[in-house]
Amino acid sequence: MESKLKFLISVSLKRKIKSKWFLFANAILLILIVSIANIDSIITFFGGDFDEKQKIHIVDETNVAASIFEEQIVISGEGILGDVTTQFEIIIVEDEEFDYEKVIEEEKDDIVIYLKYNEENYIEAKVISDAYIEMMTYQTIVAALNNTKSTIALLESDIDMEELTRITTPVSIERVVLDESKDSEQELQNAVMTTIFPFVVLPFFMLTIFLVQMIGAEVNDEKSTRGMEIIISSVSPEKHFFAKILAGNLFVVIQGGLLFIFGGIALLSRKIFGSSSITDGVGAEITGIVRQVMDTDLGDQLIYVIPLTLILMLLTFVAYSLLAGILASMTTNIEDFQQLQTPIIIISLIGYYLAIMAGVFTGAVFIKVFSFIPLISAILSPSLLVLGQIGVTEVLISIALVIGLNFLLIKYGLKVYKVGILNYSTTGLWKKMFKALKS
Amino acid sequence: MLKVENVTKYYGDFLAVDDLSFEVEKGEIFGLLGVNGAGKTTTFRMIMGLLDLNEGKISLNGEKIDYSMTDKIGFLTEERSLLTKLTVKEQCEYYGKLKGMTQKEIEENAGFLLKKFGVPDYWDRKIKELSKGNQQKIQFITAIMHKPDLLILDEPFSGLDPLNVEIFKTEIKEMAANGCMIIFSSHRMEHVELFCKKIVIIQDGKSVLAGEISKIKEDFRKKNIFVKGEGIDKKELEKTEGVLSVSEIGDELEVKIQDIEHVDVVFNKIKDKKIFKFVVEQPSLNEIFVAKVGEKFGE
Repeated sequence: MESKLKFLISVSLKRKIKSKWFLFANAILLILIVSIANIDSIITFFGGDFDEKQKIHIVDETNVAASIFEEQIVISGEGILGDVTTQFEIIIVEDEEFDYEKVIEEEKDDIVIYLKYNEENYIEAKVISDAYIEMMTYQTIVAALNNTKSTIALLESDIDMEELTRITTPVSIERVVLDESKDSEQELQNAVMTTIFPFVVLPFFMLTIFLVQMIGAEVNDEKSTRGMEIIISSVSPEKHFFAKILAGNLFVVIQGGLLFIFGGIALLSRKIFGSSSITDGVGAEITGIVRQVMDTDLGDQLIYVIPLTLILMLLTFVAYSLLAGILASMTTNIEDFQQLQTPIIIISLIGYYLAIMAGVFTGAVFIKVFSFIPLISAILSPSLLVLGQIGVTEVLISIALVIGLNFLLIKYGLKVYKVGILNYSTTGLWKKMFKALKS
Repeated sequence: MLKVENVTKYYGDFLAVDDLSFEVEKGEIFGLLGVNGAGKTTTFRMIMGLLDLNEGKISLNGEKIDYSMTDKIGFLTEERSLLTKLTVKEQCEYYGKLKGMTQKEIEENAGFLLKKFGVPDYWDRKIKELSKGNQQKIQFITAIMHKPDLLILDEPFSGLDPLNVEIFKTEIKEMAANGCMIIFSSHRMEHVELFCKKIVIIQDGKSVLAGEISKIKEDFRKKNIFVKGEGIDKKELEKTEGVLSVSEIGDELEVKIQDIEHVDVVFNKIKDKKIFKFVVEQPSLNEIFVAKVGEKFGE
């Protein structure tokens, strides 16, 4: 005869995993993840004018500025849009009867730039388009125009071409970082962190919601049907509590594993179906992230970052499940529990937002202090570790604090659970719970 | 034997059960009666080991009840305690395994009982799809399929039609005949009278009446006289000393008297009439219950 604890765990897990909704939800998740990873291929599959470049017509009254602008837009655009030659087609207008209205009427995306000589400011420009120009494109045009003006100014200052080339050549920069622990690649790692972060945090966040909902729904289902009376008359509340917690956490591990496998399938599908260089989708971003991780020291860091993160996350899942179990025992129906679960989810969100802000407010004491707080630390602490704002010791302290919280939740929460699961009335609820804590 | 000895239970300052004692012998059906909130559920929970006692002790076959012996107890709650999303099979497996049964035992015992209760085809049906009466059958089956030594039945006939009540009655009596101790709780006193030899009536957690039903009835001074005759004046009879009430039941009169000593007074009042029937009967358990519990309510 298998132990009752093992039996309760297997029943909870089977109920969740064997349900058609679990299969349905995971099938949808798989389709969505694979689709997002291959979004560029999907877009190109349905066709469109992806090869067409945006035309910029230059009407140059100065006879000098157009050719300079043509060079400068390539240089200026590199830092903003990348290779602009694949995105724009520069047309220097020589036709004296050029009608910009007619051109834009025919091609709504076209841009017309009039360049005129200006006595005070060397040149002036008029940029004409049908609608608002996309922000990055506009910034590139403005930068190119300013650089064109500077170049014309330098030319008019009788500087020889050799000197002019030296002036316009970008400054050679050698990065030297004195703190060896923050080598020059740290900045790149930060960039990787900001990109990779949502891909790690999102599953954690999703799994936390799954976990809290699963435990809450199960406890409330057994309570509201009064099946709890029969169950608790056969197994101790302690055994019942731990069965729910362990089943919930095992489910999270299984679901997390599935999400990981779905991610793998998505990457594999991307490799099989290939990607389009025309549109830059999320899939391309994933490929980029993997490449960036390999290119930096982050790969070496992952040897200790991954185990520490996993330990912290698993312990935090246990803490969330303990909290969910205790709160579920106090409620008398699922609607009440759903109201209580909102603050739990918000706690998780605080960690998420603070982790985002950590990259902006480097070294913020406030964020560092929060990284130790259990429930929040699962997201925040590993983020700060990767960003180099805290060390392994601080993460170990966070782990110890989560273990401490779990111990307290088990010690005192069990008392509340024991009373709560057989309580069907909200009258004097807090009094009953405090009494249970004191007992 | 189940022994409940001087059990007291407080919820904070609230006294839920006050110095309650009773015993249930092997093969006996014992009635635990009381109005809603009298302390019955608390008593059941204490017997099941779900609640700690403040005072007193409860033992089953000489041993304190704990989780090592709850497999020997069956419990049918007043409310439906079925997980309605499950099928009958899953429900039986769930509760059966929690009672320490093997898969084979569950299939055999539950299958046998499903046939006995006339629902053999419900094995794969969802509980929520069943009627109220059939749900009660499944609940009853899950409470007895592990062949408990002690069975607690709280309103077992709830939602049942008369035919199914008979099936339940037969099963309960059969279990008692096989040595099962049964605690029976119901607001339907005719059922209690039918099953139980001994009862305890509790009010505000305290026993207000306990013992064998026959003795309780005998000791209860109020009696009922059933009279059938010609020329009997109902209004005159109502005015007679010691008569509490007179009501017509068919072609008979039911005369409730406050004491057995008033039988003679009633008889003398009508003896010159043409009398076909004059029968003095014990009061029903329902009357005793109402009278005893009513006293506490100040009636």
